[in-house]
Amino acid sequence: MVQFLQQLINGLSIGSVYALMAVGYSLVYSIMNFSNFAHGGVIMLGAYFGFFGLTLLKLPFAAAFLLASVGTLFVAIIVERIAYKPLRERRAPFLYFIISAMGASILLENLVIATIGPTFRTYPEVFPKAPLELGPLAVGRLDLIIFIISAVSLTLLILFIDKTKLGKAIQAASYNVKACALMGVNTDKVILTVFGLGGFLAGIAGVFFGMKYTVYPQIGNITTKSFIAAVFGGLGSLPGAVLGSVLLGIIETFVAGYLSSQFRDLIAFVILIAVLILRPTGIMGKVTEDKA
Amino acid sequence: MDWTYIQGILMLAGINMIAVLGLSLLTGFTGLFSFGHAGFMAIGAYVGAWISASPASTPAGLGLPFVLAIVAGGAAAGLVSYFIGRISLNLKGDYFCIATLGFGEAIRLIFNNVNRFGGARGWPGVPSKSSFLAILIADIVAVVFLANLVKSRHGRNMIAVREEELAAQIAGIDVFRYKMISLIISAVYAGVAGVFFAHYMTFIQPKMFSLTKSTELTIIVIFGGLGSISGSVLGAILLTALPEILRAFEMWRLVFYGAAVILIMVSRPKGLMGGMELTPSGIRKVAAERNALREAKAKLLAEGSGEEED
Amino acid sequence: MAAILHIRDLTKQFGGLTAVDAVSFDVPEGGIVGLIGPNGAGKTTIFNLITGVYKPTSGSIEFRDRSIVGLEPFRIADMGITRTFQNIRLFKNLSVFDNVLTACHLSANYSFAEAILRLPRFRTQEKRLMAKAEELLDIMGLLGYKDLIANNLPYGLQRRLEIVRALALNPSLLLLDEPAAGMNPDETEQLMRLIVRIRDDFKLSVLVIEHHMDLIMGVCEHIIVLNFGEKIAEGSAEEVSRHPQVIEAYLGTREEATDA
Ligand SMILES: Nc1ncnc2c1ncn2[C@@H]1O[C@H](COP(=O)(O)OP(=O)(O)OP(=O)(O)O)[C@@H](O)[C@H]1O
Ligand SMILES: [Mg+2]
Repeated sequence: MVQFLQQLINGLSIGSVYALMAVGYSLVYSIMNFSNFAHGGVIMLGAYFGFFGLTLLKLPFAAAFLLASVGTLFVAIIVERIAYKPLRERRAPFLYFIISAMGASILLENLVIATIGPTFRTYPEVFPKAPLELGPLAVGRLDLIIFIISAVSLTLLILFIDKTKLGKAIQAASYNVKACALMGVNTDKVILTVFGLGGFLAGIAGVFFGMKYTVYPQIGNITTKSFIAAVFGGLGSLPGAVLGSVLLGIIETFVAGYLSSQFRDLIAFVILIAVLILRPTGIMGKVTEDKA
Repeated sequence: MDWTYIQGILMLAGINMIAVLGLSLLTGFTGLFSFGHAGFMAIGAYVGAWISASPASTPAGLGLPFVLAIVAGGAAAGLVSYFIGRISLNLKGDYFCIATLGFGEAIRLIFNNVNRFGGARGWPGVPSKSSFLAILIADIVAVVFLANLVKSRHGRNMIAVREEELAAQIAGIDVFRYKMISLIISAVYAGVAGVFFAHYMTFIQPKMFSLTKSTELTIIVIFGGLGSISGSVLGAILLTALPEILRAFEMWRLVFYGAAVILIMVSRPKGLMGGMELTPSGIRKVAAERNALREAKAKLLAEGSGEEED
Repeated sequence: MAAILHIRDLTKQFGGLTAVDAVSFDVPEGGIVGLIGPNGAGKTTIFNLITGVYKPTSGSIEFRDRSIVGLEPFRIADMGITRTFQNIRLFKNLSVFDNVLTACHLSANYSFAEAILRLPRFRTQEKRLMAKAEELLDIMGLLGYKDLIANNLPYGLQRRLEIVRALALNPSLLLLDEPAAGMNPDETEQLMRLIVRIRDDFKLSVLVIEHHMDLIMGVCEHIIVLNFGEKIAEGSAEEVSRHPQVIEAYLGTREEATDA
């Protein structure tokens, strides 16, 4: 039982990092209907921004944290402007967006390899390693902080989408972009906001990911799993992305804990394939009948 | 740059070309996009290596002739693609892409865990059987088969699926079957490319068949121009050689590569050939189309001005 | 005259909306039947049900006394029912000739292997297909546009090309969804003659949806009127145009329909 709870907590912690990443995929998908594979590169840069903020600039944690998330906010927007905006204006099919995204992802990853180098870097210790003892449970301080900050950020995001005017515009655009544009919603602004929000959360996720594991240019490949989480929850749905991420985090931890850590990565793809076969729209995605 | 070096690049380009031609059928002619074809290459590579590796040096090998390795590698990839197609071909646009990505990565991760073939550490000792001549012959066969296929009713049916799926159905085309056949043929091509790749490198590792490799193949098809075999051939040669030529810049070459991909998507989305073929009949066809357009415009203009008495 | 198509109590619901509500009618062998009704009446949905694009919620569709409910669209096409679309769906990046040639595929049966190796059967059958495509284009007056990319055809000719493509399948029942949409009275007049001619030349039965009343009144031997998914009347042009419910449906929703 203790082991079970322990695993559950670990799962929630990694699941909440996935959630920070997954909402970025889902936000973009909900408006633009394509899978933004450049998002992994943005997350990776977030991890580096945080790392250099702490080590090179010797910033306090909060400042490094902010540096990372504001930094990735801009990176995400720049990627949108360069790699997607021209395609949007031309109304290119979704595949061109995906390929452009792949190009951006290759570019970002290798830009880091070329300038910073391919080595693995370990974050300095910000929080003491010694776990908090909660009865028989030992909870890592980092895990707890990750979970709390992620939960707060995601709640703020959902409040933003639900309560603000811009958030409502995003919701409306996710329902029907063309109609929104006709009704005078500034879709360009909506799209920038979506990339900005996704980028901001990507920075937070990158820092946490770097702190929990290490930093290296190919982190972006791991973020494919958060994309799977977004599909699992239902691409385009924010609550779906969060739910899918938490579930994926927990399932992964349990598989690694009870079966074998070798299957840890494989399980995500097994889930992905199972979801696509059984219910391609994911847990919370909407099912629609096409018009002929 | 000596001849062996150039030959090496050309061989790599020739191997890539086989996989790219297969993907060209699926993507350029049938309109389905895959981010998992590296997985089929992996299957071809491992099955091929297993067939041909000498049991004396590698316990896992069977020591059979290279030709059998090619046949078995292609067939294995085709068979796996059939099962993948059964469950994913009914998915809509984006989701089929995602499914292929999932299957491609799953195949790689499975090989990571097959210790008999060296797992993630890789498998050395694949015999060096991919000669320049063998690759050249394979490329020629691959091009000829594909060109004949796309100019037949079967190829036209695939193109119809790409153009307008519903209209294809209504025109009596079994859309699912043609998607399936296109997928299987493309997987067989990728599998054969994998066999050649394994016997060229003589060392294989699951990592070589990652999502990045799948993406590279799709990028080459798009770069060459969807629906153009000559485009795929040129694309495979240019884009395999480009990173090699840029090797002088070592660190920066993939940065350029990524930037080039974005630039192509943004500025010349039709790719190099834009659906055209660099053959006498291909050029005649384009000329005829241009001509017809000019004539039609003239005709409309004549009717228009006749009415207006201008 | 025997009925080639037999529809009984056909119903289709989309969520809460009943787009087609217990509709029954027949298309006689060799007949030209009109299907009319205001926008959203469920006409196109009936075509989608007949051609297998949608599965009916309930009811039966029999073609030559065989139920075709639940069959896939390509099988239904294979059996001899084909159609055109309200919003044109050509293979728009292909030439006019290739559009028709593609649709001729049912007249050949060479295999993949024969195609890849260019064996004799492939060559003889391909020649036959090309000749057939050419002949159809000729009959329908599109041969002059043979090499034009379909997308560059003038609108009216695109509709005609869709009909040629449908004829390439050797159908016995042809469904036309608003074939005169966007045409001027001259072109509509031509189209009317064309419809009658292909029915006679190709021994077809035709079911046509149209808002142009001249066309419907001019060529249809029998007319079915839908409103809100229900059949409100059927009969000859004269019978239908005198029917009080039809007058009400049309005057109530779209007066322009009668003189458009
Ligand atoms: N796939 C679908 N999902 C939901 N509703 C649909 C679908 N297809 C059609 N409908 C609805 O069914 C009703 C009938 O539509 P249909 O297209 O058959 O009308 P129609 O008679 O062809 O009209 P028009 O003259 O405008 O072409 C409409 O209310 C339409 O919105
Ligand atoms: Mg309609």
